[in-house]
Amino acid sequence: MKSSVDAAPMTLAATHDGRRKKRLDYRRLLFQIVFLLPAVGFLVVFMFYPIEETFRTSMMQTSALSPPTFIGFENYQRLFASAEFRKGLANVLAWAFWSVVIQIPLAFFIAFSLVAYSNRLTSKLRVIYYMASIMPSAIVAMLGRFIFAPRFGVISTIAQRFGWAWLQNVDFLGDPNKVFWSLFAIATWAYIGFGIVYLMANIEQIPMEIREAAELDGANRLQYALYVVLPMVSYPIRILAIISTVGSLKLFDVPYLMTGGGPVYYSTTLAIILYKQGFVNWRYGRAAAVGVIIFLLSLAFSIAQFSMQRKGGELD
Amino acid sequence: MRNIDLIAEESAIRHFGGRRGRLTVSELLIMVVLIILALAVVLPLLLPWFFVFKTRLEFSYNPWSLPKQISWTNFREAWIAIQIGQGLLNTLKVCVGAVLCTVPSAAMAGYIFAKYRSRWTEVAFYVVLMGYFVPVHMVLIPLYQLNTKFGLVDSMAGVFLPMTAFGIPFWTIIYRSFFRSLPDDLAEAAKIDGAGHFDVFLRVMFPLAKPATVLAVLLVFIGAWSDYLLSLIMINNQRLFTMQLRIAQFMNAYGVDHMPRYAAAAVIAAAPTLILYIVGHRWILRGTLAGALKG
Repeated sequence: MKSSVDAAPMTLAATHDGRRKKRLDYRRLLFQIVFLLPAVGFLVVFMFYPIEETFRTSMMQTSALSPPTFIGFENYQRLFASAEFRKGLANVLAWAFWSVVIQIPLAFFIAFSLVAYSNRLTSKLRVIYYMASIMPSAIVAMLGRFIFAPRFGVISTIAQRFGWAWLQNVDFLGDPNKVFWSLFAIATWAYIGFGIVYLMANIEQIPMEIREAAELDGANRLQYALYVVLPMVSYPIRILAIISTVGSLKLFDVPYLMTGGGPVYYSTTLAIILYKQGFVNWRYGRAAAVGVIIFLLSLAFSIAQFSMQRKGGELD
Repeated sequence: MRNIDLIAEESAIRHFGGRRGRLTVSELLIMVVLIILALAVVLPLLLPWFFVFKTRLEFSYNPWSLPKQISWTNFREAWIAIQIGQGLLNTLKVCVGAVLCTVPSAAMAGYIFAKYRSRWTEVAFYVVLMGYFVPVHMVLIPLYQLNTKFGLVDSMAGVFLPMTAFGIPFWTIIYRSFFRSLPDDLAEAAKIDGAGHFDVFLRVMFPLAKPATVLAVLLVFIGAWSDYLLSLIMINNQRLFTMQLRIAQFMNAYGVDHMPRYAAAAVIAAAPTLILYIVGHRWILRGTLAGALKG
């Protein structure tokens, strides 16, 4: 290639230039391909191919004995017909709803207070609030059982100490009516730190002048929080809402480790059903169908997030 | 009249800096609530210490009294059962693997998407961006089959390679926006000096992206550190169990009936993460903020 270019007659200088330019482009292109290769390779092998396989498997009847056969949407029909799946779906949707309704206002209250009353103490409090969020879910679940265990747990022993009979024998993780809220309480403990830190960062970016102007207009702190700060962080709050909603759809670790989805299936989630169908019952087809449902639901919420980001003009 | 207003306004501004010495009732109330909530965060990590030194019998009679003597038996038993040393080592392998695979891949891809913009790199960027919306939960079954095919089941690589694929989209977006904020002048100067595409990246641009790299290394590390689901599925051999798998195994095998030992195990289990946080909380908080504000 090089020698042929060099050998080109001088009289064809224009073509010579054109060829050289083409060769440079080729090198530039090669560089781009080489640099994109690792990322694209990882994505194709460990994400895009598995996605295609998930969709395909979800249409298959799989068993250990016979080769997979195509059955259309039967896996999905079976899922929606089972009470366990409907409970799992209801649980994650309720979880999503309550995390938006309870966790985000609480996070806003704490974040606003930490910024509005900032002193030496509050900067330390921020570090403390985030501490639980860094804990891996296995440890969160371990501490959760430590608190809620019947008879020997923290709540139960405290109730014994003070002779509160009504609290002493409450089975927080074994009672179908209480297990959801016990798990939710632990998850709130663990995950609220991120919301606090995220909202604090956004509230701190509000310029001082705005706050001074509000003070001049005679607004007290509550009015300032509700009518000035809250509208200004409505965009991050919406993002936070989407993050917790999508997170709820994927909920697995804490419920699985604390109750295994039980009692019976009262605290089950979509991801727990997927895991049990796939890796306990070895029904790949059914598990893949759950995977597709998780994907479609979180895609719907993510698209909502993406379009909001576009509207907020913060992408790029 | 106006002057009086101004004076009042000035004092309002001064007040707003924090009324030192003279807290109002509402401020005091809010501080108390904040401290109670902070205690609620810390207590689950502190309460096990009430139990750990007691025998089972002592615990069942007097769970909340001070221990009669300091006995390390529970710690010893929990230490042996939970195998935290081996688990920690395996977890670190996953963390290092995830960081080494994710960060360079994302940096390189982000660089191309930022500095070599053309129609086809834009298309490639949207393909990568799509990956951001895919939860790993969806593809667990094919991932497991894939790892079986590659012989990656029961290996640390079987955990951190899929993890990398699911981390790359986010970090590519972060690197892309970081590289776009860097001026082209330096790269041009290096090119005039005869540096090739690769040299420009390695010698000029990548070092300039250090803040993004620090952030990525830190958060990818923490993500891998906390993982439970992928290791649960990919690892069956106990000697390869990560820290989180060991903790889960302890919970299922021993349960809460022997509460002092369980509490000791909880203390041991939380210790590495607590130490990590105490040492690095400045970086972790700053990193989370940067990630949150960008992402």
